[in-house]
Amino acid sequence: MITFENISKEFPDGTKAVRQFTTTIQKGELFVLIGPSGCGKTTTLKMINRLIAPTNGTIYIEGVDINNWNKQALRWNIGYVLQQIALFPTMTIAENISVVPDMVNWSKKEISERVDELLRMVDLDPATYRSRKPVELSGGQQQRVGVLRALAADPNILIMDEPFSALDPLTREQLQRDVKELQSRIQKTIVFVTHDMDEAMALGDRICMMNEGKIVQIGTPAEITRNPVNQFVKDFIGNRTNEWESPVKDIMDPYSDYIVNINELLQLSLQNEPVYVIDNESYFLGRKQGHEVMEHNITLSPDMSLNQSIYYFDVIDVDVLPVLENNTLVGTMSYKNIVSYMKSTTMDTKRKGEI
Amino acid sequence: MNTIQSVIELFQSRQSMFWTLVWEHIHMSLLALLCAVFIAIPLGIYLSRKTKIAEPIIGIAAVLQTIPSLALLGFMILLLNKIGTLPAVVALAVYALLPVLRNTYTGIKEVDPAIIEAATGMGMSSFRRLRKIELPMAMPIIMAGIRTSMVLIVGTATLAALISAGGLGDFIMTGIDRADNAYILLGAIPAALLALCFDIILRIVEKTSQGKSLFPIGAVLTASFLVVAAPLISFDQESDIIIGGKLGAEPEIIANMYKYLIEDETDLQVSVESGFGSTDAAFNALSVDEIDIYPEFTGTAMSALLEKTPESGSTETEVYTQARQGMANEYNMAYLEPMKFNNTYAIAMREQHAQELGIQTISDMEPYTDELTAGFTFEFADREDGYPGIQDVYGFSFETVETMDAGLRTRAVETGEVDFIDAYFTDADMVEYNLRVLEDDKNLFPPYQGAPLMKQKTLDKHPRLENILNQLSGKITNEDMQQMNYMVDYNDTDPSIVARDYLTENGFFE
Repeated sequence: MITFENISKEFPDGTKAVRQFTTTIQKGELFVLIGPSGCGKTTTLKMINRLIAPTNGTIYIEGVDINNWNKQALRWNIGYVLQQIALFPTMTIAENISVVPDMVNWSKKEISERVDELLRMVDLDPATYRSRKPVELSGGQQQRVGVLRALAADPNILIMDEPFSALDPLTREQLQRDVKELQSRIQKTIVFVTHDMDEAMALGDRICMMNEGKIVQIGTPAEITRNPVNQFVKDFIGNRTNEWESPVKDIMDPYSDYIVNINELLQLSLQNEPVYVIDNESYFLGRKQGHEVMEHNITLSPDMSLNQSIYYFDVIDVDVLPVLENNTLVGTMSYKNIVSYMKSTTMDTKRKGEI
Repeated sequence: MNTIQSVIELFQSRQSMFWTLVWEHIHMSLLALLCAVFIAIPLGIYLSRKTKIAEPIIGIAAVLQTIPSLALLGFMILLLNKIGTLPAVVALAVYALLPVLRNTYTGIKEVDPAIIEAATGMGMSSFRRLRKIELPMAMPIIMAGIRTSMVLIVGTATLAALISAGGLGDFIMTGIDRADNAYILLGAIPAALLALCFDIILRIVEKTSQGKSLFPIGAVLTASFLVVAAPLISFDQESDIIIGGKLGAEPEIIANMYKYLIEDETDLQVSVESGFGSTDAAFNALSVDEIDIYPEFTGTAMSALLEKTPESGSTETEVYTQARQGMANEYNMAYLEPMKFNNTYAIAMREQHAQELGIQTISDMEPYTDELTAGFTFEFADREDGYPGIQDVYGFSFETVETMDAGLRTRAVETGEVDFIDAYFTDADMVEYNLRVLEDDKNLFPPYQGAPLMKQKTLDKHPRLENILNQLSGKITNEDMQQMNYMVDYNDTDPSIVARDYLTENGFFE
């Protein structure tokens, strides 16, 4: 658990990089700091391992002021991954990974086993890669080793400063998946700086939006997309919508053919298709069964998210469900509605991406 | 082809001397290089941590390197009150400081800041970062600096011969003095090969130690230390009296005569340190007790050391008496009695050329001042009783004056590059090249008679020296001296042998 208490940083040239930054990062959480360049996100990150000292305020790790730690011991317990990768070029891959274990006096055997274990974890064959020099590796492989180097001595915290921004999109996605998977497996507290909203959305348990040194909004990706606090956040995330978070009312069909008035019931065929019956005031009566109306309890509400609603389709074997507001039938939602909604939003995003 | 053959012959006849000089050269160079490396690398590392003072200090090192190496060598004698290996090594080390210092500083400074941040961020201490990251990364640049310094040192060390530090420069200086290419090459080629050899060794060390194995570096360091330490053990034999001598055959012959005479009559250990490049160098060495006695000319003592101009027409005795009083009063030095020969300055022309122009005296040259080119030594061009004296006393100057090293001007006049030169009366060249000495019809040049110069306290300590050395008083004629110089310069006889033979033949040992 990392707690920032009133952290401010003013550089000697007068730049106020961080102002009154207060928040708590939970244990095992992947916390993303995001914002435009110059917003203070990297400065905030580097204050955690004391590469930069705050002008004011205190940072606590597990309740202990980080200034009470020995600076080097503190850093041994905080894995650090850099944007520039910065593997040590005169050392082999194995030596790069063993830098911190070596400093904390692990035995040669322990270190050697740890190196192999880590290399295997990211699908780099130890026999092949141990004794290579960093230049002999591709950018993606190098940053994989960069992450391993940070993890080597099994730190509780990992701080990553735009670690994937120098990589090509394919490699970047692969590494993002790796990190996500890694985190679910090893449960480290990860503080991750990026300027890429897609990356933040894909990785973050929580996202902290920063601007001009201040926190603008903190929340889960869903909260931020659904309730951006101001125009700045809206602009930053763009018209991005998480389709799965969309409310049912945006997807349902209010004039659906699956709705019939009770008076028309007798004119319909006896077939057992899912048709929902209302009275003259649109009051929901139930589902048609032959020429009878049968009670129907599996209903959706207009404010329910798509995410939640799809589970109701698993409960009953129908392709369409009624949407009720105060027992009034306002529409139905079918698989077909969902598919066409998804299709339209994806098209939107694509067009935005091209602009 | 001829030159190569004569180099090989010379090498065969001078083999033991050759290896001694090579050893001296290696010893001097390595010692200087080690000093430079052990000062410059830690300093470079320190500066890389203190960027603010780095530029001024590297600037100072750069200024030190702009000092001409010869001047630096001379300056070190005064600063350290010593001649020989010590001032040479110090001067060479100072000279070699810059490349190592600058490359160490730059090498460390140029390490990518992201790498530094990674190392710091991972919890390395400043020292560990230096050892594990910065030095290994800077190593190729530092090694390049060391190699540059090494080549610089091995080359410059040839000049150390001028301050009696020995080394292959001895051959080169002798070669220049005698205008003998074989000597020059015997000094220059091994010096170049030595530089090449060291360069290859350092390259191999750099390659094999790339990464982390420090073994080759350690091996080379140990070997260097052994080489450097070796002579301290074996050559540590003090002499009671050291006789000095300027560069050239004549001073070396005379110095050896002193040695034989003193050793013949006393139990004192005497050694000879000759080859001082100039009057100042020899006199400085005497002042700081690096040498005890050296033969100095009466005329030089007057003009160069006492800065007095002997009156025109002064007799030999008058000049000596004046010089002896001056040396005693001003420097508290004893100046014993001179030998007979008078090696005064002379103006010399090719015999045939002089006949064509009908020139017999210096005054006869007046009509030809526009046409004749002079070839003077640096010292002659500058001395009161040299070229400035000609301008004063004879009242004319020459249109074109080339200054050059003493050994080169004889050849220059022979090939016709210059028309006349300053010369010494007893020079062997007068015989060999058939040069005509122009008569000094206005008595410009004071007498130059060799006589032993020493500190009074040396004489007080060994009072017998006076009688011993005065045995030579009034001995050795111009012809004797010319003959002996010829033996050394043209027959390549060892000066000490020439000296001993003369003394034996003339009955000094009885």
